[in-house]
Amino acid sequence: MDAEDLGQIHDPDKLSAYLARSTDAGDNLCVDGTTYRTQLPPKFRRRKPYVLHDQREVRARIPGTIVRLLVRPGQEVERGRQLLIVEAMKMQNAVLAPCAGRVKAIHVEVGQQVPKGTLLAELE
Amino acid sequence: MTLGKKIQDLLARVARVTAGGGEKAIRKQVASGKLTARDRIRAILDEDSFHEYDLFVEHKCKDFGMDGKQLAGDGVITGTGTIESFPVCIFAQDFTVAGGSLGLMHARKITKIMDHAMKLGVPLIGINDSGGARIQEGVNSLAGYGEIFYRNTLASGVIPQISVILGPCAGGAVYSPALTDFVFVVEGISKMFITGPEVIKTVLGEEITMEDLGGARVQAEISGNAHFYADSEAECFAQIKRLVSYIPWNNRKKPNPFPPRPPRTGQLTARIIPAEVNQPFDVRDLIRTISDDSDFFEIQEHWAANIVIGFARLHGETVGIVGNQPLVLAGVLDVDASDKAARFIRFCDAFNIPLVTLVDLPGYLPGADQEHAGVIRHGAKILYAYSEATVPKVTVILRKAYGGGYIAMCSRHLGADFVFAWPSAEIAVMGSEGAANIIFRKEIAAADDPAAMRQLKIREYSEKFANPYIAAANGHIDAVIQPEETREYLIHALEVSQRKSEVRPERKHGVPPF
Repeated sequence: MDAEDLGQIHDPDKLSAYLARSTDAGDNLCVDGTTYRTQLPPKFRRRKPYVLHDQREVRARIPGTIVRLLVRPGQEVERGRQLLIVEAMKMQNAVLAPCAGRVKAIHVEVGQQVPKGTLLAELE
Repeated sequence: MTLGKKIQDLLARVARVTAGGGEKAIRKQVASGKLTARDRIRAILDEDSFHEYDLFVEHKCKDFGMDGKQLAGDGVITGTGTIESFPVCIFAQDFTVAGGSLGLMHARKITKIMDHAMKLGVPLIGINDSGGARIQEGVNSLAGYGEIFYRNTLASGVIPQISVILGPCAGGAVYSPALTDFVFVVEGISKMFITGPEVIKTVLGEEITMEDLGGARVQAEISGNAHFYADSEAECFAQIKRLVSYIPWNNRKKPNPFPPRPPRTGQLTARIIPAEVNQPFDVRDLIRTISDDSDFFEIQEHWAANIVIGFARLHGETVGIVGNQPLVLAGVLDVDASDKAARFIRFCDAFNIPLVTLVDLPGYLPGADQEHAGVIRHGAKILYAYSEATVPKVTVILRKAYGGGYIAMCSRHLGADFVFAWPSAEIAVMGSEGAANIIFRKEIAAADDPAAMRQLKIREYSEKFANPYIAAANGHIDAVIQPEETREYLIHALEVSQRKSEVRPERKHGVPPF
């Protein structure tokens, strides 16, 4: 496994090029510029690295069924405007615009079942 | 009827109820690798010490075909007994009777034995093996759970509460174990979850097996819900007996003392620790060089292994040990480690068990995942728990004690009674590399050979600050001791702290960060 797999950090002072690294000789963890020989437990290895979220991409936060589309591509929307309705957990959940903008695309249709994380719509 | 006949009648009634759910159900229970509820109680308690109560309790449900349906003991066995002469109250759900489902009278039997445990001031052991709420009894079943949770909470910090998960423990039922002090699980047998795989699949479309969702290993390694993991019920019962030997009956007593014994390992304490501050060692090896009989009873061994907690004895007296584990994640404090240590510290404080803290950590774990998981509020738990604790608190700084980690690990500033440091201790804001890079940033950048200058400055900083003497000069530590003196210093510190009393301002309760 190489350094990238375990998450990089870049300190302004270049204190360390990585947080954790697994090599043939063993695991390393870097804290405040000092590299420690240690073991990286499975739960640590499985953690998901943080990815910067683009708020113009509207994704399904829970799996469900699309029951209504409330906007069309090209339409201008205010922040908080209802974009579509997803039925999930026995509730009709309104998906709101996270920011003001123009609807670039709607990626789902009424009746479609969507897993968690599905890209529902894009704003621009 | 003559008395003889009446006794015969009693014996016949007892036989009917103690047959549980009948031969077929018992065969099924045994075939799935489980003991019956009654055998479990017998296996945990001293021979013939179990005395059962409420054998003839019956449910009152008349709906959904329940009228006239006999459920032996209403699916739970309750009573008192002893473990190595140590008195306990115990209940065991009987899966062979209606799947161990919890109805109102089943719950009443449990709350009655809980009330007994509180009045008698003895530990409560609950064996969970139940399909969940008895649906036919509707809201009465929910009421039963709630009354158990309420008592678990009132008993917290008054009597030790032990939960043993020997079967399914699902839905609301999981919250009784969660409110208790120690949860035991067994591989292949224990299953704990709020919502089962079926619900998760229907609602979320995610497929997961029961074992992967809430099996013994998951609870012991990932969620941290379990404190003790065993491969078999027999091993689990041995663990329970061992645990009981370290803890007191209740919060007004101290744990029973044992005959003092020297450590068994001939290993020198100093030999355990590598000279280089960035090389790992197993802190449990160190504990075994100072504890009586080299004995250490580890708790939550598989979860948040970067901190080690458990019981040991020093000169015959139980102590709770908290130690950073350089072997795993360099011994950093993170969300899970803080949570694990804080709960243990509060248990020890509640039950008059002195705390020994062994320090060797580079600080808190950096990373977005930790910050987002709330390392600030979780990390605060350990500060709170140590500061709040009024039992004797003795700290030994072995090597690194940097920054916030130094403060958190029962420093003088959080009320440690005695703080000792080895000559290898480095009590500083951070490691020499990091500190030199920040303090001498300009010099390093301006140097002809920045790398050489950096090394020079690191050495300079290290020689000046990477030692225990600045902290000693300020009175933050009480003594710099040789590693081989550790056990003697600890025993003395605990001996003179026996009558320690600390007065705190009156309050209803604090508001800890949880």
